[in-house]
Amino acid sequence: MNRLLGFRARADGSARRAPFAFAALGVAFFAFAPAARAYPEFQAQIAKGAGRPVNCALCHANPDGPDGASYGQIGRLNPEEMERLNRARKAIEPGAEVNSPILNEFGNELVRSLGMRRLLELKLNPAALPDAIDPKSDMDRDGIPDAEELRDATHPLKKEDGRPWRLFTHNVRKNLWTIFLAAVATAAGLYGLAQLLQGFARAARAAHGEEDSSDRE
Amino acid sequence: MSLVSVVKRAVEYVAERFPVEKLNYHAMVEKKEVPVHRLSWGYYLGGAALFFLCVQIVTGLMLLFYYQPTVSDAHASVEFISEHVHGGALIRNMHAWGSSMMIACVIAHLLTAFAMKAFEKPREITWVTGVGLLFLTFGFGFTGYLLPWHQIAVNATKIGLQSIEQVGQYLPGQMAQWPRAIRETIQGEATVGQATLSRFYAIHVIVLPFALAGLLGIHLLAVQLHGMSRGVDEPARRREKFFPIFIIKDFSVWGVAFFVLFVLALCLPFESFYSYPLFEAYDPNGSTPDGIKPEWYFYFVYYPLELLPFGVILVASGLAAVLLLLAPWIFRGTSRKTLRILAFAGAAYFLGMTLFGERIYHFFKGGAP
Repeated sequence: MNRLLGFRARADGSARRAPFAFAALGVAFFAFAPAARAYPEFQAQIAKGAGRPVNCALCHANPDGPDGASYGQIGRLNPEEMERLNRARKAIEPGAEVNSPILNEFGNELVRSLGMRRLLELKLNPAALPDAIDPKSDMDRDGIPDAEELRDATHPLKKEDGRPWRLFTHNVRKNLWTIFLAAVATAAGLYGLAQLLQGFARAARAAHGEEDSSDRE
Repeated sequence: MSLVSVVKRAVEYVAERFPVEKLNYHAMVEKKEVPVHRLSWGYYLGGAALFFLCVQIVTGLMLLFYYQPTVSDAHASVEFISEHVHGGALIRNMHAWGSSMMIACVIAHLLTAFAMKAFEKPREITWVTGVGLLFLTFGFGFTGYLLPWHQIAVNATKIGLQSIEQVGQYLPGQMAQWPRAIRETIQGEATVGQATLSRFYAIHVIVLPFALAGLLGIHLLAVQLHGMSRGVDEPARRREKFFPIFIIKDFSVWGVAFFVLFVLALCLPFESFYSYPLFEAYDPNGSTPDGIKPEWYFYFVYYPLELLPFGVILVASGLAAVLLLLAPWIFRGTSRKTLRILAFAGAAYFLGMTLFGERIYHFFKGGAP
């Protein structure tokens, strides 16, 4: 596959561009478009690694991927969106401006930060994808880096999706002051309520005692 | 037996179960006491269930302000609540966690009441209304599950409604058509769609709350009139005043329950226990994601259904429902020790199926858990 795309793997895992690389990539993108557009290797690897089902919505706009005529799929794109898609397809190197309508924010960020060439390399070793992305990146700000979200098969753009214990500990740290105030308010409310009820009981006993004593008189 | 004597006996029966002459300050406040023994903690479970019901009512009302019960807008409105309404995610999460906690409390309350023989005469109606409330609570869970209109909601509801229709094959003659009629009535159209959502919404926010209010009113009135059951065979170590001691303790349990619920709702999204494709908007033309199953509190029926023939589960469920409803008469002469063992077995089965049901399923059917 590497040869087909014009890359030769180096010992350190990176790839060296062969003279016909761009031509081969062009062929891959445009002549064999359906095969090159979707990246089922990543989806299968992520699901297998975490033992948790995922779908194309991890990186794509549509949960069923880019092929079709539904929202976020190629069959429904207007000319302006097609132009954005083609620009994304040409983002061979990292750092290009990418805003593909068939990808979600995370998918676009992957193309932007890695470039299409690196992504195509990673297709051959999809388990290495989490290691390839910025370990500090946390697009949904849920306290779990995107790389870990990929390993856990949780969504990097959904802050309510993540390993429950990791989310819990992160959110406890984030909301410590609110939790402290809630604890104080609950304790104070209970104390006040208990005092009120005991006061009612004492008043009732006193009133009843007075009635009893007046009866005796 | 003449009609007059039947009516007279019925009136006597009801009067014994609802001694309304006790509805006075002296009996309800001054004199009322609660026995203290090793199972006293069970007395607080009913109150905890009531607290979570209050939470559900308050948070449910808040969600109603924004929720749109249409197939095109339901999921979007729920996302809008979570993403754009101030405090919306917290309220929605409280509603989700609250429903689970309420069901857990109701089940624990039922098991402890059974173990304490709290259905003894004259508390039969308290028990029967309690079992009715359990079924209503499951009804709330089933109907509420569909409302967000995401993948797991719609697909799990389809499976649930199909199960109703399957009952027909075990019924004789014309009765075989009844489950289909019931399913079509609930579903409202050929498949789960707008009519189903509208009906589930109406059942969830109108029908069930009214039914619950009626049954709960009877249940609470009976509980207050009779007071707490003795709970154990041996004499109670001591007795404490219902007002204010027990009430203060009960409210303390409410306070702790509120705090736990608040922290959970704030810090642990309910959805994090499931894979994200299950919470995407339902698309009738899209693929069905893996992992469709009902809420955890239905696992005790769901996994056996996956493992055993439908007829076996149907008969077992029917027997269990009859046993529950008629417990005051079936177990009239049973000792509390035997009841405790039965309640423990019931709790072990429920917990086992809830926690390990999937593993048990894969153990028998193969495949990775």
